[in-house]
Amino acid sequence: MPDKKYFRKSQMEIMGLAIVVLLITIGMLFVVKINIGKKPAEFKAEFTSKQLAQNTVTAFLSTNTSDCSGMSITELLQDCVQSQTDCDNGEVSCLYVKNAASEIFEKTLDTWKADYYFSVYFPDERAIIELGEECKGDKKPGWGYTPTARGTLYTKLDICG
Amino acid sequence: MLKIRNTKAQMHMMETIAVLLIFFVLVLIGIIFYVNVMKGNLEIEAEEARQLEAIEVAQRAIHLPEVQCSKGMDIVTSDCVDVLMMEAFDSEGIVSKNQLYYHDRLGFSKIVVREIYPNENKPEWVLYNLSLDKFKDKMTTYLPVSLKHSKENKYSFGIMQVDVFQ
Repeated sequence: MPDKKYFRKSQMEIMGLAIVVLLITIGMLFVVKINIGKKPAEFKAEFTSKQLAQNTVTAFLSTNTSDCSGMSITELLQDCVQSQTDCDNGEVSCLYVKNAASEIFEKTLDTWKADYYFSVYFPDERAIIELGEECKGDKKPGWGYTPTARGTLYTKLDICG
Repeated sequence: MLKIRNTKAQMHMMETIAVLLIFFVLVLIGIIFYVNVMKGNLEIEAEEARQLEAIEVAQRAIHLPEVQCSKGMDIVTSDCVDVLMMEAFDSEGIVSKNQLYYHDRLGFSKIVVREIYPNENKPEWVLYNLSLDKFKDKMTTYLPVSLKHSKENKYSFGIMQVDVFQ
């Protein structure tokens, strides 16, 4: 009949083994927790959204129209808050800018399925032109500033996400 | 007496072998696990490197001094390309004459500029084209740009499409 001491020794060995297995398991779980769900950083998406918003506003404001006496969008915005003259196609400057923005966004942001909110406004006043829906979460803004007789007119494009 | 001692020694041997076996199995599991984790990390790093390269090429493309707009002699307008300069750049065959230089800067990519507004039906300008027929990955970046028509001193809205092949 094996003695009590022999049993205690084998129990101790099993306990040692169990502790080693436990430590390894904890280590693995730790590594899994750190690594699982780790996704590559979205450098490109970040860059694209930022560049997209600012470049779109800058390029849009400097664009010349084809049927509004060749005026640039900046000039049309200035006209929009001052005299509101009619363009060759019968649209007033404000509406012309809105339609031009809408046409450009339809061919660019809508095609690339980018959610956006575009607005032209004076601070603390209701927006003169609005397109898209306001972003609910993160957004990358692009800004444009137009000097007018009433003060600085802000043009803002938010790319959502 | 001798038989009992032999049996006891064999038991010890068996025990040692079992412990070693378990130990090596655990080590093997650890190695497999480590390799898998490292493989995942390498894939993530490779994807990040691909993204950074695409950004780098896009940035170089939009700031190509050969086609960038300027006011007067030396004031550069950012995010704007001159249509006259693009046409000259294309017709003079500058890229084919300096292939090594441009490959070093733009890699395997294709850079196309097209007008969006007010005239959509204008031809597109292919600034650089070193595309790969067989590629693992293609990253496309769209950059809105101003297109300067120097003759009329007017600007239109355009898109620069940069495809980077890997």
